[in-house]
Amino acid sequence: MKKTNRNKKRSSQNNFAKLSIFQPQKYKFNKKCPLSEKGAPVVDYKNIRLLKKYITENGKIMPSRITSVCQKKQRALSLSIKRARNLALI
Amino acid sequence: MNFYEHTIIARQDASSGQLKQIQDKYADLVIKHEGKVVKTESWGLLNLAYLIKKNRKGNYIHFKIEGNGKTISELEKSEKIDKNLLRYLTVKVKKLDLKTNYFEKKSEEFKEKTNLSYEKNK
Repeated sequence: MKKTNRNKKRSSQNNFAKLSIFQPQKYKFNKKCPLSEKGAPVVDYKNIRLLKKYITENGKIMPSRITSVCQKKQRALSLSIKRARNLALI
Repeated sequence: MNFYEHTIIARQDASSGQLKQIQDKYADLVIKHEGKVVKTESWGLLNLAYLIKKNRKGNYIHFKIEGNGKTISELEKSEKIDKNLLRYLTVKVKKLDLKTNYFEKKSEEFKEKTNLSYEKNK
């Protein structure tokens, strides 16, 4: 009994650590896109407060695999972040 | 006719009179070239995220313009030469969003916050 318990614990930890693009779909989190819900904020280059959530401390754009933003919104995000950078807002 | 959002950054040491001159100058240019200025917003003196031509701050002016490609090309032509400006950005939009002003809201909230802190201090 003890052995099986240990194995279970290990496997759960390992799943979390191995969470990456190389893992099969069933280990991934199925989180919905936060920008395509009802009443979601508009992605715009003037909306700095929203854009700041999706960049790292160094000013890089965060990958959608971490933020779970859908492809369409990710494209809009990256475009508007680049516009904001040009205006020295970010 | 298309809709455009146009933002320019003026130097930090420009006086309020100079800023008005700049604003009027480009508004006139738009009208000259078959365009129409629907709305102008002045976002005020904002901190730049990085230095541009040794400026730490910049005066932001935002236009919402209805016009065609020629108006924009003429605008950008004269802005390229202008020494008082640091940057400009034109974005073509399908619909002009006249309601939300992200930068006004912020300042109001700031005021509220500062007011609250003042009250607390009192």
